[in-house]
Amino acid sequence: MRINRVILWTLLLLIIETAVFPWLVPPAWTERLLPHLAFIMTLFVSGFGGRHPAFLFGLGFGLLQDILFYGNLIGPYGFGMGLLGYVAGLAAERRSFTLAFFVWIVVVGGALLDTVVYLIYKLFGLTDLSYSFVFYWQIAPTTLLQLLFALLVYVPVRRYLVKPSLSSGEDNPE
Amino acid sequence: MRNKRLFILMIGLIVFIALMGFTLGRKKLTWPEKFVNDAIGTVQGVFYRPVGAVADFFRDLGRLSDVYKENELLRQTVAQYTQDQIRFNMLEAENKRLQEELNFTERQKQLDNYRYLIAQVVGTTSNPYEKTIKINLGSRDGVQPDMAITTVDGLVGIVSRVSTFTSTVKLITDLDENSSAGMPISATVLGKETQSFGIIEYDEESGKLQMTKIDERDPLAVDDKVITSGLGNIFPKGIIIGTVDSRQVGDFGLTHTAVITPAAKFDHLREVFVVVVPEVDGP
Repeated sequence: MRINRVILWTLLLLIIETAVFPWLVPPAWTERLLPHLAFIMTLFVSGFGGRHPAFLFGLGFGLLQDILFYGNLIGPYGFGMGLLGYVAGLAAERRSFTLAFFVWIVVVGGALLDTVVYLIYKLFGLTDLSYSFVFYWQIAPTTLLQLLFALLVYVPVRRYLVKPSLSSGEDNPE
Repeated sequence: MRNKRLFILMIGLIVFIALMGFTLGRKKLTWPEKFVNDAIGTVQGVFYRPVGAVADFFRDLGRLSDVYKENELLRQTVAQYTQDQIRFNMLEAENKRLQEELNFTERQKQLDNYRYLIAQVVGTTSNPYEKTIKINLGSRDGVQPDMAITTVDGLVGIVSRVSTFTSTVKLITDLDENSSAGMPISATVLGKETQSFGIIEYDEESGKLQMTKIDERDPLAVDDKVITSGLGNIFPKGIIIGTVDSRQVGDFGLTHTAVITPAAKFDHLREVFVVVVPEVDGP
């Protein structure tokens, strides 16, 4: 994993996520499609770079996002992305990292991240929405969109951001 | 090995809960936070504004057929406005004369003299539970926490954190009554300011505002324009909030509640105004 390049690209993605993406979503869907592009990059790091870089990467970008849009509290994304980056790295080390497995990681990880953040806001009494509503309203569409994005950038990430020597070892035919 | 991992997870959990609790009610930002906010905010502005302009251009193309109708309407409004202007000037002169006669202090005279600073939006959050946007005015331009934010249509939010060149704005869709960070807005009806009163809250599931604690004998009716009343000293008075959709008896039967359609749109914002209330220097 070329970690410096990944960090630069993720910074750019974070800015795109907050400054460009809101314009592409039709008004009726702005509350439902809130993808976390930096989190997708964390999952890439966990798959190609290992669990410890993924943990630090998720922690750093999560905290950055928390600080940038500091409404009530700092920390939910720092915690969620750090934890899930580590867990995804752990899972990726157990199995061979195929595309199908990556799809699973993006879907489950995305849903879990939003769930963790929801639970934190519930814990502090900052939201009173029910989980089933949040899941239907925001988590499910967001997760699908994140999956779409992850599949779109899968090939470029693999080609430009993963060191050739490392990826050739994992590049098993499926 | 497994124990060590669990141990670290526990410590991390405790550290983060402490961090969240510590940052929950805080208003001031430390310098690293300000630096990060300003640095990224500037770059966000470089993207957000041009993209917004292009997106708006395409949306305007789609609405081209409405322009004629809109123009007609605006012309009528302008005619109305000129008449009102004359009346307003007379009333203001009268008001000033009366204030002189009643020996109003300088502070009382200046109290309703709001200044509007125009600000560009540079980014919106992707966090579903904290609806915040970022604007490109900061403490250098005189923005302070808790100032009201409006668009040309109506009330949008309230300044939550201020750094040197940018600030974070909490939208009123975040001011839920049932959340611990909620903040009630006292409101009244345009034209019935002295008789009408209620508290505005946001209902997350329906996406509309709710006006509660309305008196039974209140003259509020459907299609009335709801404005801020200025009681409670957080929001300045006279800012349009929305129009009344329906009115019904409240949960306990003692007061009424009304559903209110917000006047402002909360997504795809480009320009907003910061309402600066004149400095209150001592009683």
